[in-house]
Amino acid sequence: MESKGVSYKSSVWVDWCPGCGNFGILTAVLKAFAELKLDPSETVIVSGIGCSGKLPHFVNVNGVHTLHGRAIPFAMGIKLANPELTVVVHGGDGDLLGIGAGHFVALGRRNLDIVVALHNNGVYGLTKGQASPTLPLDTKTKALPKPNIQQAINPIALAIASGYTFVARGYAFEGEHLKNIIIEAIKHKGAAFIDILQPCVTFNDIFTSEYYGKRVYRLEKDQSWDPVVRDPGERVPKMLKAIERSMEWSERIPIGVFYVDNTISTFEERLSSRLKVYPEINPANSSIMTEESKSVIDNAKFKKIFGDLIVSVSKRTQGRSPQ
Amino acid sequence: MGFSELSIILGGPQGSGLETSMLALSRALAYRGYGILADREYYSNIVGRHSYIHMSVSSKRIPRSLTYPVKLLISMDAETVFTHFRDVEDGGILVYDKDTRIKKIAEIPSMEDSLKSRLIRDLKTLGIGEDLESITEMLRSRGIVTIGTSFQVILKDLMKIYGIDPRSLSRYVSGIVTSSASLLLGLDREALRYGFESVFSGRPKLVEQNMFIADVVWRELRSYEGLLKLEDSEIDFDELLVATGNDVVAIAKIVSGLRYQSYYPITPAADESFFLEKYEVSELDGSVIGPVVVVQTEDEIAAINSAIGAALAGARSATATSGPGFDLMVEGLSWAGMNEVPVVITYYQRGGPSTGLPTRGSQSDLLSSVFAAHGEFAKVVISSGDHLDAFYDTILAFNIAEKYQLPVIHLLDKFLANSTSTIPLPDLDNVKIERGLKPVPPGEYKRFNLETLVSPRAPLGTPGIIMWYTGDEHDEHGHISEDPDSRVRMYSKRIEKLKLVDEEIPGDLKLRVHGDGGGDFCLIGWGSVKGAALDALGEIVRRSNLRGVYIDVKMLWPFPRRELAEVIRRSGFEKIIAVEHSYGVNIADLAAMAAGIRIGKRIAKFTGRPITLGELTQALEKVLTSDIEYVVISYGE
Repeated sequence: MESKGVSYKSSVWVDWCPGCGNFGILTAVLKAFAELKLDPSETVIVSGIGCSGKLPHFVNVNGVHTLHGRAIPFAMGIKLANPELTVVVHGGDGDLLGIGAGHFVALGRRNLDIVVALHNNGVYGLTKGQASPTLPLDTKTKALPKPNIQQAINPIALAIASGYTFVARGYAFEGEHLKNIIIEAIKHKGAAFIDILQPCVTFNDIFTSEYYGKRVYRLEKDQSWDPVVRDPGERVPKMLKAIERSMEWSERIPIGVFYVDNTISTFEERLSSRLKVYPEINPANSSIMTEESKSVIDNAKFKKIFGDLIVSVSKRTQGRSPQ
Repeated sequence: MGFSELSIILGGPQGSGLETSMLALSRALAYRGYGILADREYYSNIVGRHSYIHMSVSSKRIPRSLTYPVKLLISMDAETVFTHFRDVEDGGILVYDKDTRIKKIAEIPSMEDSLKSRLIRDLKTLGIGEDLESITEMLRSRGIVTIGTSFQVILKDLMKIYGIDPRSLSRYVSGIVTSSASLLLGLDREALRYGFESVFSGRPKLVEQNMFIADVVWRELRSYEGLLKLEDSEIDFDELLVATGNDVVAIAKIVSGLRYQSYYPITPAADESFFLEKYEVSELDGSVIGPVVVVQTEDEIAAINSAIGAALAGARSATATSGPGFDLMVEGLSWAGMNEVPVVITYYQRGGPSTGLPTRGSQSDLLSSVFAAHGEFAKVVISSGDHLDAFYDTILAFNIAEKYQLPVIHLLDKFLANSTSTIPLPDLDNVKIERGLKPVPPGEYKRFNLETLVSPRAPLGTPGIIMWYTGDEHDEHGHISEDPDSRVRMYSKRIEKLKLVDEEIPGDLKLRVHGDGGGDFCLIGWGSVKGAALDALGEIVRRSNLRGVYIDVKMLWPFPRRELAEVIRRSGFEKIIAVEHSYGVNIADLAAMAAGIRIGKRIAKFTGRPITLGELTQALEKVLTSDIEYVVISYGE
């Protein structure tokens, strides 16, 4: 599809609460796609359930709005079948780190080349504000009748421990900064994770835009901050540094790129070493049938491919040992 | 003169190479043109618990059913003799390790207490001691030839010549089993060598060592050579595929153009995915066939949902699982229904509920598959009665899925998955691949176009168009819509596609009637009861002069109500009997619900072991000649 001058904004009315952090995220997504000139027909946004789940409908690229917690497996199937596609997952904290936590971890292990954007607002918005896996212990937001009795997950540390090779944090209302992170994440080869701090104006009266506005600072302002692993020997120290930095969550909250590792093979590369012809020949573009609607495997090919399982019958009178 | 058909049990502890024995023997028999069907029974255990192969061999045809009693029992250990001595036919043969002759039932740690006490009680009643020697003595009195030979003596020279560590000597017991079976059946050593060569392909040393064992067995047991000599084979095939149900389905998936398979390890489905990995890509005469991307996912939820994702991108896509895994997939199944995604779930049933009998078979998930998932939508459930059916049905599953854009469940079971058969080579000239893909012009594309029941489908990534999918109710573009008018049209469309399936799929693919059409009764079933059912029709004519047909319901949903009603109306059967590996024999309830057909009698088996010919024939006689409506059969350990 011609990408020049394409409007990446769809005509669907955006039905998030006025002032929602999701507006900032959507704008950053649209700008990032435009700047990258992504071909809408070769781009797929995959989402889960919740407020973040609606995002694909607001963007003029392919959109797959899936099940609660399962955006990553859907995205994996799409990407593996057609590795040419740019695949970006959007999910909430309940979605990716609660019900879908197993998939979140598994994607890191695979280092598949897709982007996961976490809309991190600390609550389950669409079901009226229950505590999510990123809401700290003892926190009582206005929607909760009693303080939260479960601890919070540290998404950055979890992503690094799981094996994501690009790990960053953005803030929904630092649009330009977030856009740049999205661009870097899409360009990165391998599993990329963006923890996006997102105020929920309706249910989270603690982690508000005022709260974040006062606290967020950019990692890259520190000249000495170099999160990129260029040699496997740097992996452990940089990983530890990134995890240590991710623990900072009080008066100052860092945003920016925490960790990048370009020394680990992608899942596509691992498949390529096994399948040889992949990704050039892949599930989406390989032929399976002839013009006559026959299988590409005919009787002769069948015998060659599965010869190991075929026994050529050699009847003879029994009981005589051949000499 | 020899035997044209006979049954064999080979038994031993799990992990002792029994499967290797079976495969080598099967290959050797196939090499000489015999037909075999070999069921594998085993515990959920890696090493040590009792496992066995129950095998039918024929020189006249490819066996369809398993039968008791058996002509030959070959035991790797005393537990096998204890477990199966009652299965040996009078005049049959037992081969055992005579070094174990003083073993007593009570001393077998791997044997379950309930079996021990049953055996001890039965032996006590007969006044027979519970040691192996007493049992062999009793067997001899029944005219059974007991061949006690010292496995250690047989392996002694092998150990010396090849410098084998005595601790790993047990690995060679499988060679004794294969060799003694071959010797008794009158197979020659060239055939046996062929069998070893094909299972130990690329490991010539193992072939040599096993042939050395064969030579010793031939020497030690020469007086028994050909005691169960098979007649020369009359089966007219130049080539036979020797494969399990798992293998056959995997082969068919590759032939059908499968390009993405996800799975989470589960018995008895995982072997299929292993097979696919082995054959994931082939390069033949400069052309590439494949690749199949096979992914072991983190759970069954990821398995189904990634398979759906791959299907959205245009790949023929499937996953394989069993009951516990299928339960986890059900939410994804509903999404596939909502979004009209062609995806195939290969469902190998095992004994439930819960973990149940994880390595044993069942057909107890019929209703669970037909009625799985919330909301109403079109899905298709098909079944296969044997290996060759499973081949063609696998291709059919993909064709239906893509042509009608819906999820298809291919309902199989552990019996088929793990049994090995000699299968005629499928004829691919008659296999069609139907994708239902029509070129979509660039521009505005409506994935869920309401003009037709089946909307034009374009994969994600099609140049010039974009599309949306959502699990929410949606409009033609795939955007969320809760509008009642749109809801009614979209909801109905997804359900009414099933009418097309019902109308367009040929009757022969939905239901097959076996038998001459007329008669006294009609037996109805599906899936792996087929072989025993067909053979039972023959048996019961012979024994009781009762004539009947077997109706194999291949398409379980949409249920072939017209076709079934027509068969029953035409023949005017008064007695209809359903048979199934379940407690409920649920096909009878499904037929009542979907076709309004009352099936008065049911034959059930839910021990996790396959229905065998004799017990089915007897159960049929019982329900046909009395008012008894429900018979439970349970033969086999």
